[in-house]
Amino acid sequence: MDELDPVIHASARLRITAALATLAAGDRLAFPRLQQLLEMTPGNLSTHLRKLEDAGYVEVTKAHQGRSPVTYLNLTARGRSAFEVYTASLKKLLG
Amino acid sequence: MANNDGAPISVDVAGVDHDESALSPEQMLKLVDDQQSVMVRQQLSPIPWMLGVWGIAWLIGFGLLWAAAQSGSSWISVPLVPASVAFAVLIGGAIVISTILGIRISTGVQGNSTFAGTVYGLSWLVASTGFSTVGAGLIQNGLSPELASLYFPAVFGIMAGMIYFLGAALWQEKSQLVLGSILLVAGAISPFFGAPTNNVVMALVGGGSMLIAAIVFALHLRRMA
Repeated sequence: MDELDPVIHASARLRITAALATLAAGDRLAFPRLQQLLEMTPGNLSTHLRKLEDAGYVEVTKAHQGRSPVTYLNLTARGRSAFEVYTASLKKLLG
Repeated sequence: MANNDGAPISVDVAGVDHDESALSPEQMLKLVDDQQSVMVRQQLSPIPWMLGVWGIAWLIGFGLLWAAAQSGSSWISVPLVPASVAFAVLIGGAIVISTILGIRISTGVQGNSTFAGTVYGLSWLVASTGFSTVGAGLIQNGLSPELASLYFPAVFGIMAGMIYFLGAALWQEKSQLVLGSILLVAGAISPFFGAPTNNVVMALVGGGSMLIAAIVFALHLRRMA
């Protein structure tokens, strides 16, 4: 443990990751619901989600509910383990 | 990153957005805890309402059935037909309200738990239809109204108890095992009290324990905040 993961070590992305980590394995959360839970603007949330997706931490699934498209999000196995390593590192730092 | 020099811990990582990285490790850890407790509380917030609605439906519904069977001999006198209608409305209302609350819990969630939640929701419908059909079959084969009034509350309690057991397994929640056991016992022992006292057992032991569970759960959620 030398450095904190720069992808998660940003308060907005940490909150997104922490929120998605509470989902049961195999579950996805709709973008509007995540936005409401985090109280973030759609633009801000999208920006941070893209960084998490680029790092391979978040999986983005596009689905259709009737005619309207819905985006679902979930942590990948890599994202979940990065979150666990990150929180363990913080706890270790704090002794 | 070693921090054994006694200096305040500061974390600086290359590539971090500067507007986002100003928080200390303590603050970051608190951010994780706060965000996760918001998620859990949001998920669980309808549960005290569900338990409360069912507790009231049982307490008043079975209370009315008991009162109706007093046949004017007691201080309370309720005609049988309105009492039965009120019972049906209360139980039906509780089913509708808890279904709506259940859908609210899973809003925006898709995946494995959607299937589990749907099966759980259906189990109420399937089990109550099954038990009612058996009751109807027994009546058709000569079950007296007196015995029917012992049968239905008993199987209703056993059914609810078993479904709470299912919920405990599904969400790994031991508190539902406690409530499920109480409802199972209430249903199973109620016929021994005879009619109409069996309804009092259902109202007080069944309805009462659901109301207590609702209050305990609400306090637990408040403590998490």
